[in-house]
Amino acid sequence: MGVDRPNPAVRIEPDLKFIRALNVQGADTLKKCFQCGTCSATCALSPDSDPFPRKEIVWAVWGMKDRLLRDPDVWLCYQCNDCSTRCPRGARPGNVLNAVRQECVHHYSKPSFLGRWVSQPACVPLLLGLPAALLTLALLAKDPIENALGISAGAEERIVFAYSSVFPHWLLNAFFGFFTFLVVVVLITGMARFWRAMKAEAVENGNFTPRKPLLPSIGATLKKIITHRDFAECEASRSRLLSHLCVFFGFAGLSLVAIWVITARYNPLIQDDFAYPFGFWNPWKILANLGGGAVVAGCLLMIWDRLKNSDDVGPGSYFDWSLISAILVVAITGFATEILHYQRLEPHRHIAYFVHLVFVFSVLIYLPYSKLAHLAYRTTAMVFAEHTGRTREATSPAGKMYGVKQEGVNDVANTAAEQ
Amino acid sequence: MEDKIGVFVCTGYGIAEALDIEALCKVATDEYKVALCKTVDSCEGPGLDSMNDAIRKEGLTKVVVAGISPRCYLENAFPEGVIVEKAALREHVVWCQPAGDEDTQMLAEDHLRMYIAKVQKMESPVHFEAEEPLDKSLLVVGGGITGLTAALEAAKAGYEVRLVEKTDTLGGWLGKQHRSVPTRPPYRDLEETGIDALIAEVEADSRIKVYTSARTSEISGAPGLFDVTLKTAANGNTDSDVLDTLRVGAIIQATGWRPTDPREHLPYGRLEDVIRNVDLEEMVKNEGPITRPSDGREVKSIAFIQCGGSRDKEHHSYCSSICCLTSLKQALYLRQSDDAAKAYIFYEFIRTPAQYEDFYRRVQEDPGVFLTRGEVADVTRDSDGALIVTARNTMPGEHIEVKVDLVVLAAGMVPNSADGEAIRALEDAKVTVTEGESDEQRNKAAEKVEKLKQHEGTEILNLAYRQGPDLPVLQYAFPDSHFICFPYESRRTGIYPAGCVRQPMDGLGGREDGAGAAMKAIQCVEMTSRGETVHPRSGDISFPDFNLQKCTQCKRCTEECPFGTLNEDEKGTPLFWATRCRRCGICLGACPERIVTFKDFSVTIVSAMIKAVEVPEDYEEKPRILAILCENDAFPAMDLVGKHRLQYSPFVRIVPVKCLGSVNIEWIKEAISSGFDAVTMIGCKYGDDYQCHFIKGSELADSRGENIREKLEQMAMENERVQLHQLQISEYERIPEIFEEAAAVVEEFGMNPFKGM
Repeated sequence: MGVDRPNPAVRIEPDLKFIRALNVQGADTLKKCFQCGTCSATCALSPDSDPFPRKEIVWAVWGMKDRLLRDPDVWLCYQCNDCSTRCPRGARPGNVLNAVRQECVHHYSKPSFLGRWVSQPACVPLLLGLPAALLTLALLAKDPIENALGISAGAEERIVFAYSSVFPHWLLNAFFGFFTFLVVVVLITGMARFWRAMKAEAVENGNFTPRKPLLPSIGATLKKIITHRDFAECEASRSRLLSHLCVFFGFAGLSLVAIWVITARYNPLIQDDFAYPFGFWNPWKILANLGGGAVVAGCLLMIWDRLKNSDDVGPGSYFDWSLISAILVVAITGFATEILHYQRLEPHRHIAYFVHLVFVFSVLIYLPYSKLAHLAYRTTAMVFAEHTGRTREATSPAGKMYGVKQEGVNDVANTAAEQ
Repeated sequence: MEDKIGVFVCTGYGIAEALDIEALCKVATDEYKVALCKTVDSCEGPGLDSMNDAIRKEGLTKVVVAGISPRCYLENAFPEGVIVEKAALREHVVWCQPAGDEDTQMLAEDHLRMYIAKVQKMESPVHFEAEEPLDKSLLVVGGGITGLTAALEAAKAGYEVRLVEKTDTLGGWLGKQHRSVPTRPPYRDLEETGIDALIAEVEADSRIKVYTSARTSEISGAPGLFDVTLKTAANGNTDSDVLDTLRVGAIIQATGWRPTDPREHLPYGRLEDVIRNVDLEEMVKNEGPITRPSDGREVKSIAFIQCGGSRDKEHHSYCSSICCLTSLKQALYLRQSDDAAKAYIFYEFIRTPAQYEDFYRRVQEDPGVFLTRGEVADVTRDSDGALIVTARNTMPGEHIEVKVDLVVLAAGMVPNSADGEAIRALEDAKVTVTEGESDEQRNKAAEKVEKLKQHEGTEILNLAYRQGPDLPVLQYAFPDSHFICFPYESRRTGIYPAGCVRQPMDGLGGREDGAGAAMKAIQCVEMTSRGETVHPRSGDISFPDFNLQKCTQCKRCTEECPFGTLNEDEKGTPLFWATRCRRCGICLGACPERIVTFKDFSVTIVSAMIKAVEVPEDYEEKPRILAILCENDAFPAMDLVGKHRLQYSPFVRIVPVKCLGSVNIEWIKEAISSGFDAVTMIGCKYGDDYQCHFIKGSELADSRGENIREKLEQMAMENERVQLHQLQISEYERIPEIFEEAAAVVEEFGMNPFKGM
């Protein structure tokens, strides 16, 4: 029998729940696909061999959940929606992959009930109430703890209007530090499970052959991320490159400031002048303001983009909108806190700061379950792709597929003209 | 009344510039001594009026107009009762030949001679008068959607209808359906079939008389005169009670279809839970929930296998057109009964024509319907009783399997038709087996009986026709017709197949077909009552006359008539049914005794045309080629040759005929003995995809070639001098080449030695 059937039949049991979940998450156009393959042909990022997203769409149509969750290609897509604008049936493959990525996030980031909450608009009060309550609890616990540990208000109180009089640094650092640790644990576990799943699938299909060692793969991936090289390849929404760059580097700048602030406080070598809080013209303050500005601008650009393209690619899913909104609120409340602080408005500035902290905290703790989780899973998939040679450069050395084709067309035209 | 022949020579359209009109008129006046020869400056408007004035004033009975092509005149352009023949000087001479040339003049003069000679021999056709009054009521055989619609439409138009259904209920297959696919925008939701309302309407109509559990045990006669005997439908064709006898004018055969046997490798009949689409439909209609035949458990998943009986060279190679829609519909039955159920559809191609594409999309969007292209390799039974369907080259994988509760095969459609000709051939062979003269003959007949035995007892209409009891079929047992141009035509005048017996179609198609066939049947009874023939010589009143005293009972006419017009008496003498006749003249072409004549078309008339051509002496080196052109495609194509100013050999003399099948061998003989150097016949394409308007005319002309060769041999002439070509009207530019080919033959074999004898 083994001789007669080199490929044993693969049993397919479509997961209807999975298909319905995808439908809810913005892939309601999924089943319109009639398998023409325009999406794969048009994709600038897809490798030549086993290109995506066509095969992913088939798997999604057939509810082949396991296959999709173990597929790195799902994450090589940047949802530029070149495919969606060109799909003759309006199946919107870009949105389908986005929904699949969301399912991936829910699958790998534990506990999964948090994932379900994050993906449901009805849970918004709960999701925001929880950080607000935790933060309030922490603040209520401030005085008893300070008294018990004998911590005095200390140096910050020298400046009358410092926020630390209400929100002391030690408290925030400890509070956020603890939850950051939890988030990192969740992400690393998720990434590890994702890696193992991808590897298992590749091994099963007999095509797991490392082409590049792990460290160089990571290096190449980071380079790609920083330069946003793949983003630049997509045609349909060039402006997305700019908006993502803004948000990405805005966040990077803000993170740098945050790290500086935290480390500076505990670093005896740093003089008081450079210590927190900064004056308006302090270089760190300038960096922070620029970063915040970039995030706001980037978010607005993203919103503008989505509204502009909604005819072709749809209005986007809750998964997208919830993250953009949350980040925008973080940035805006950040600026509000700053402005109100300079205006010395009481108690407005404290309220704004509280709201700001709630949103920052939400973005942080829900990171593994929201679209922001892509920074972990996409990176993992990209490293995996580098590692196994599943990149465009590795599979099509001549460069962009359409570039090669156009050359060919010109050749034919030229030959015809010569004759 | 004595004939008074007039000739009009038109000088317009550049004719006067190209030809010597005076010399032309002299042909008429000096050679033929016609009563009147006049020139007119046009064949239309004032020119036509002046001709008609002259015809009336001079009391002309026969007229030749040498001017524009006969196809350029309106109907009734000339006074009724006057025989008018038109020679196409413009299209066939002036537009295709150099002006002022000697050969051009000779061609024009021969044209005139041929048509004057023709009218000299022609008589005015008279209407066929039946001895009994012609009936205008209709018989509809089959009470499905097509038959019901046909009956109702004809009744609405004011005609009496008799509807015969073999089962005890009306409605046919549509009556067995639970729901119909959507027939209205937005083509998303399943609909009621609407068959009950239609049945009620038919039953309430006073013009329609319905016979259920009935069959036609004999239909004799002809359009307008069909005598139908109805008997109760019993299993087999055993004698049963006569229900009624009817006289009807025309018949619509809407006998529908039956499901194909599924393909061999699919375990239909071997596994209980592998059923056909028709079985599932009945289950849903009669029982409601879909259950497994083996254990009665409710079905949660179905695999539909498309083309279960169709589109396979080894089986039924055509597409049955409704199976894809049916499976999509039945997938919805399952999905709408249970939201967790799964329907898999394995297809080679999904075919949902026209607006049904929208329905396909709607089903495709259902999350629980899984469509894939692929070949189903195997269906096996799992240990738990479920079925495992294995498929190759599918969308989700090269080799996949799915586990399902039920497998439904899309069984295709086979027409409920009978091959009348085969049944007759079987009967003849059986007779030969017992009465054959030699052992060889008897053995051959026995082989034939073996080969044809599946036709035994398959009669449906039971026509009392010499050529067999049912409509002749072409491919795949569908009744033969000129189906592209004239969908409801058959090879039996006044009998119109419609619905799935004609071509696989859905209920909507059946309604359309039923209405269409009703219109054709009404057209038939009306035209027949006026003595006119139907398609394709619609309105022709002439008909063949058989001089039976000279008949030798050779049966060629009775066997060759494509429309079964002729029955035979015991001796084999043809019995002519005028209202079955389509006026193709194939009987005229077939008859070796030349006993068949039309008033306006006969062996004598065409022979006279051929003899009228002036054949120059050998030394003049002006050969003559006779071109016999079919009036349906080749002759109109000749007009296009003129319209496009294509030049052709001036040695060609063109004679139009009703059909190449009407070409009598006598004409070839006549042409050769009058000194023609070659004969070229141009007719329609024949074979399986024939284009002959009379089905077999050009093919018969070809198969009669043997007789022609014999004749030529007797005359010591080369076979090559007589050629036959197939041409469709769009290929008109080939005509000059065909003529060149004939000229080349003359070049090769030399001039006809019979010249001047």
